[in-house]
Amino acid sequence: MSIEVNHLSFTYSPGTPFAKKALDDVSFRVAEGETLGIIGSTGSGKSTLVQHLNGLLRLTSGSIRIYDIDLASKKPDLKRLRSTVGMLFQYPEYQLFEETVLKDVAFGPLNFGYAKEDAYELAAEAIRLVGLDLDAVKDKSPFELSGGEKRRAAIAGVLASKPRILVLDEPTAGLDPVGKREILNLVAELKTSFVKTVLMISHNMDEIAEHCSRVLILSGGRLIADGKPEDLFRNEEFFAGTGLRLPHTALIRNMLADRGIHLDGNTLSADALSKAILNVLGGKK
Amino acid sequence: MNRDITFGQYYPGDSFVHKMDPRMKLILVLVFITAVFLVKSLYSYIAIALFVIVAIWGSHVPAKSVLKSAKGILVVLILTASLNIFFYSGGERVLWHWWKISISVEGLFFALGMALRLIFLVLGSTLLTLTTTPMNLTDGMESLMKPLKAIRFPVHDVAIIMSIALRFIPILIEEVDKIMLAQKARGADFESGGLIKRARALLPVLIPLFVSAFRRADELALALDARCYNATPNRTKYKVLRFGWRDAAGGIVSVFLIGLIIAINYSFWGLFGITWTV
Repeated sequence: MSIEVNHLSFTYSPGTPFAKKALDDVSFRVAEGETLGIIGSTGSGKSTLVQHLNGLLRLTSGSIRIYDIDLASKKPDLKRLRSTVGMLFQYPEYQLFEETVLKDVAFGPLNFGYAKEDAYELAAEAIRLVGLDLDAVKDKSPFELSGGEKRRAAIAGVLASKPRILVLDEPTAGLDPVGKREILNLVAELKTSFVKTVLMISHNMDEIAEHCSRVLILSGGRLIADGKPEDLFRNEEFFAGTGLRLPHTALIRNMLADRGIHLDGNTLSADALSKAILNVLGGKK
Repeated sequence: MNRDITFGQYYPGDSFVHKMDPRMKLILVLVFITAVFLVKSLYSYIAIALFVIVAIWGSHVPAKSVLKSAKGILVVLILTASLNIFFYSGGERVLWHWWKISISVEGLFFALGMALRLIFLVLGSTLLTLTTTPMNLTDGMESLMKPLKAIRFPVHDVAIIMSIALRFIPILIEEVDKIMLAQKARGADFESGGLIKRARALLPVLIPLFVSAFRRADELALALDARCYNATPNRTKYKVLRFGWRDAAGGIVSVFLIGLIIAINYSFWGLFGITWTV
């Protein structure tokens, strides 16, 4: 198991009039190799949950185990935890600060105790990995990059410490459709070669449907569903109650079913859906 | 993270003091500060203390909240008091003497008086910000500074700059929290090491903060332009400030207070028969 979360609850500002219960008895396990999507409306506790995985919020009740690191212990090794779990926040380009892109990307590894040469080597590797031209950008100021390049540089800054688990909080927010696709393809690519496990928060159901092998749904701090997207997205009634909408592919499938055309198998990705529709059309001819 | 910045924060309420015109409150605070510096004798200290207590009572702000915001000056208070105690010169009833340092009864009283003055000053001015929204405060200042327009002082611009600055403090605090989280996730450590190491560790927070402050400033300027904002002299206000009976009452009280203190200080020695002065 790469992640084990048991009975996790969390309240902001406990004991004051501003107290707000953000997580309520959440338990789940993630095996190495999974791509987990976390969805839920605003204020459902998604960000609070993932901040726990990185030790950014102190565990107050329940337990979390990440590989062999026990977060419920008195003094968990936060440095090792944070180099194991790479965390990419929303709009990560706003965290860039160094004089050059290379130095900025090396910030993580240097903090985690790598020697200077090793840190710069890791940084160079991460910059290449995210698809930036190393020689062109490494001595540039990060503020000279374009929006999409900045986001890639920030992702490189997280990848440089070679995390085994990558947590992404709305990685495509604020990007144009092409930029979104590029970032998601990058994540899929990383998943096959570089990081073992990916957790992704998103408001975009289409992204989740297409890229995740498993989905957690949070509502009001509680985990209300945990399963494969092709199973979860089939249950229209359940979704109506969550304030979330189904991915477009599932909507099209349901609309076709209403008109008497039933598609077989998993049709959540756009490719699979179009193939299934073509099959039906071909069959009729 | 830094949510407990209470100094001068607005405490919502519906009291006599809350409802007063911000212009009157500003004038009152100025009068109050002058009065605090005129204070000399025990009776005038009592008069000031009574005034502060009545004002706090009239604001319905819990005394605890007012005192909490005054806690910030504790260090300054201790520092000035101890300097005054040790370096007061000219005291006659000397209690303790070493080299050039001596403690005298007069010195002790002087230090006590100074400390009380500081406390009154802070209490009085925090009461203003506790009971007045930043918007009202800047409106009041703008209105009071109107005469300066005669010498081409850009009163309205100064006022809008001030209200924008106040409005952006909570936004920037939130931004600091976010950036700190992101850098912590990359292994940044803000909690260990000496003073210099900690100051250096803040660099990865300060640079993105400045960049984003400039970005926000640009965006805000564009948004203002897009709505054809300009500081023309004939701008009207949504909420017009009105001088009411509460303000008249406040004005009378303040005139009475300062008159009383001057009277106690200079004219009525015989009447009160005070010999204990500071």
